Parts: sequence; structure tokens; C-alpha cells
Amino acid sequence: MLADGLRRALTLLVHGDPEVLGIAVLSLRVALTATVLACFVGVPVGFAVGTTRFRGRRVALTVLNTALAFPTVIVGLLVWLLLAREGPLGGFGLLYTWWAIVVAEVVLAAPIAAALTAAAVQGVDPRVRRTALTLGAPAWRVHLAVAREARFALLTAVVVAFGRVLAEVGAAMMVGGNIRHQTRTLTTAVALATSQGDFPLAIALGLVLLALALTVNVLLHMLQGRGYAGDT
Amino acid sequence: MLAIRDLEHGYSERTVLSVPALEMPEGTITALVGPNGAGKSTLLRVLAGVERPRRGTLSLAGKPIRTRADALAARRQITLVEQHPLLFDMSVRANLAYALKLRGERPRAAGTRIRDVLALVGAEQLADRQGRSLSGGETQRVAVARAFLVQPRVLLLDEPLSAADRTARGLLGTALQRFAQTGTAICLSSHLLEEAFRWSSRLFALVEGRLDSVTPENLFRIDLPPGSGSRTVRAGPLALTIVSDREGPVTIALSPDDIVISRQAFASSVRNQFPGRVTGISDDGRGHIRVTADVGTEIVVRITPSALADLGLEIGTNVVLSVKAMAVRIF
Repeated sequence: MLADGLRRALTLLVHGDPEVLGIAVLSLRVALTATVLACFVGVPVGFAVGTTRFRGRRVALTVLNTALAFPTVIVGLLVWLLLAREGPLGGFGLLYTWWAIVVAEVVLAAPIAAALTAAAVQGVDPRVRRTALTLGAPAWRVHLAVAREARFALLTAVVVAFGRVLAEVGAAMMVGGNIRHQTRTLTTAVALATSQGDFPLAIALGLVLLALALTVNVLLHMLQGRGYAGDT
Repeated sequence: MLAIRDLEHGYSERTVLSVPALEMPEGTITALVGPNGAGKSTLLRVLAGVERPRRGTLSLAGKPIRTRADALAARRQITLVEQHPLLFDMSVRANLAYALKLRGERPRAAGTRIRDVLALVGAEQLADRQGRSLSGGETQRVAVARAFLVQPRVLLLDEPLSAADRTARGLLGTALQRFAQTGTAICLSSHLLEEAFRWSSRLFALVEGRLDSVTPENLFRIDLPPGSGSRTVRAGPLALTIVSDREGPVTIALSPDDIVISRQAFASSVRNQFPGRVTGISDDGRGHIRVTADVGTEIVVRITPSALADLGLEIGTNVVLSVKAMAVRIF
């Protein structure tokens, strides 16, 4: 069954099956949008928590680190309740659209981006800030100098957030509804195809997902390699 | 140029700095000497505006620095070269260009200026090296060049000579003196008293967070044997009782104000009494009298004109100089 499934999956991939392609494209669109939005929120928050001293900073760090391990089904449930017709954000009619998946994934990925950003900038030599300051840089350029120093670690934060969003299934299933051509992402499609016994499709989609995940990890590995080289 | 008033700074309960007043006029080199941990680096960081003091005001060119805008404006004119300066992970030339970029400057002929400041500290051959591949001494010189490049009105340097070899020290000292002549106020810290004397126009000792002006008289460079508490060491021809836990090469200073001059030895708690003869009497120009006495080596004592009259001192008078062991300062 496995060999047969693999053979037919490869046929689907080689022939560029429109179903597989459509799902892959939708998945990428959701993942990229969610990553951009998550980083848009998470990176500045992480930067602030990592570089400034304020009352409650420890609490903020603890909250961020807890949010890293937030169960995805809980996020799915929360976002579902928010976006449901009777929910506080029901008026936007987002539930069971790909935007609902984006919202859930942003909630999941923003803390990752924030926590890793905080760790990245905390790891920067304090002399970077002092040097930029004493050379007469305005505050925003001081931040830029710190970010430049942490650039590989910051890119790592983005890549990890992207990986998380791409591989997530629970929340995407709950708030997206796994609707064909609309909210069916790679992960939810693999789950559905498997339960329906359509192994060639499940394997083909799984291979695409694996290839994407592999790309992300190779990228991550390269970045981390550069980062360590830069530290010496 | 840069002045500080009523400065107090510390961490949690501990006060590490207490400086009622310090001024750095333009064109002068002020040196801060003192042992490690005396607060030199902290004072420089406060002066540079990267550490906010608990109390006290800084003013630049007569204007107190109060608001954030003042602080930014001041930071553009005050530069600090740390003891272990940081270069960014790019070439030396790019590091210097980046300093200008951080300030938002895009000057014409930046390339020529970069070459010039590197030449000033004898680092032109380092231009294409990676900033983070340099040795400690090279990094310091490049950091000084970077500070020259941004043309500060106040240049602060924390132990700028610590990692430099003899040649580099000479070069740096000359470069600093030339830079001061352009009207910049320079303040440097050093644990080497002689170096500080050679390059500076004014000298202050920083001991346990307090400033004290130091004169170039009555200095002895000695190698202190291991030991602790009150002990007697040889300083030139003198057997000197001191109180110190330090060892190794140190400079011993007898402040002319801390020495008591008398006609005869007297019974007291004073540990150090040296008989000798007066060899010189002069006015110090500030209303006090400098008396030089030969006690095996020449020692300068500062007294008031009335003390001079009461003691009836003249050239050739036999005197005794007394210094408390606690008053012997060690750098």
C-alpha cells in the first residue's frame, strides 16, 4: 500500500496536479501572511522587552515564554469564539475563511517571534548600544545597530515562526473548516485525505509539506551557522 | 566645556561616586588616576551620558543637560572610548564610515578623513582588516581614530593606553595632545600615574569614588612586595610605613598638603618622620608656600605663609617631615 501510494503520489507531483498545487499555494499564502503579521507584532514587542528595563519586564518575559507552549487547539477554540457570528469579532464574517487561519496562526506565531527576538537582542554585547550612543546616534539608529548585530538570530526568529505556522494543523482545522479550494491547507488536507483513505493524495501533500519544512530547516541551519561565525 | 556638579552615583545602597565639582575646559587634557575599582570607568560613563547619575547635573558649554533632546545633542558632542572598545563586524574602514552613518552624516571626502584619522594613530595599514580580528591594542587605536573622526568637543577615554605597547603609547599620547589643541576637552583615565602626568594638563586622583587633585611632586615608583595592612617599604632612600594590601608595581604619592613640617621630631601617632634640611622656599602663586626639604631625597611641602613665619623657616633650617601612614597614597 505504501509503495503503491508513493508511486501514485509521485505521479501527482510530476504532473503538477491542480488539487495539490492549489493546496500548496494556499498554504504558502496563509503561512507567509501570518508570518509577516506575526513578526510585525512580535519583533518590536520582543525588541522592547529585550532591550529596555521596565517594571514588569520579568512578567512579560514569562508570559511570552508561556505563550510559546500554548496548545494550538486552545488558540483554535479562542479564535473560533472570537470570530463566530455571535462572537465579538463576528461582524467581519471571517470564520471559515483563510483569514481566520491567518488570525489563529498570528496568535500562535507572534509570541515565538517576540520571545526569540527578545533572546536575540538580549544576547547582543551591551557595548554595541553604548558605542552607538556615544558616537552620537539617535535612539532609532541605536536600535538599528543592535538589530544589525543580532541580524542572524532575528532571521532565525522569523524562520522559526514561519515553520510553526506552516506545520500547524489543529487551529487551522477548527477556524478554517478545511473547505476545499478555500481553507484547505497542506496539513488539514493530509489529515482529511488520510482519514478518507486517499493515500496517494495524502503522501503527495505530505511530501510537499516535508520539502517546505526541509527548506525552512536548511535555511535555519545556514543562518545559525553564520550567526555563530559572526560571534567569534 | 563639560562640567559636573554635585554628582552622586551608585548601585542599590552603595555610593560609588561622589564628585562635588569637576570641569573640563576646552583644549585641556584632564587625567583621572586611581586603582582599579575606584570608579574611573563609571565616572566616564556618567560624563558620556550612557549612565544616568543618581544625583547631579552635567552641563556642556555652560548649558545644563536636562531634557532628552539636550542629552541627544550632548551625546553628539561627547564621545567615549571604552577600555575594551567594540568594533562592529566589518572592516576597519567600514567601521569608521559606519560611525558617521550612525550620526546621520554623509560628509564628502569621508574616505580622506578616515585615512587621516587612522594615520594619526598609526593604524593606516589596518584599514582593510576585519574589525574583530584585531588585537586589543590595535582595537584601541582604531577606536581612538573613530572618536577623532566624529570630531567631538569632549573626548573621554577609559585607559586608552592600557593595551598599547611603548611605541603605540607615545603615538597615542602625541595624537591626543594634537587633538586637544583643536579645542577639544579630553579626559582620560589611567592607572599609570607617570603616563597620566606626561600627557595631561591636569590630574585628579579618584580614590573610592572621590576626587582629589594630584601634584607631580613626591612620587615614588616602587615594586610593592606582597603583604597587607600596615607595613614598611623602601621608597627611594626613605623607609616608609604605608597601609595597603596591594602588591606589584605601584606609584606612591605623598601629597604636599598631607605632610607636616616641624623644627623637631615630636611624639605622636605619626608613623613616618624624616629629618632633613630646607633647600627651597617659593610662593606657589595661589597664596601658599612651597617648601622643599632634602630628607635623603627632595620632598615638597605646602604650608600657609603664617606657618612659614611661625616656624621661621629659611634655606638650611633643620626640619622634620611627618606623614601619617594612612596619608600615603598608592596608585
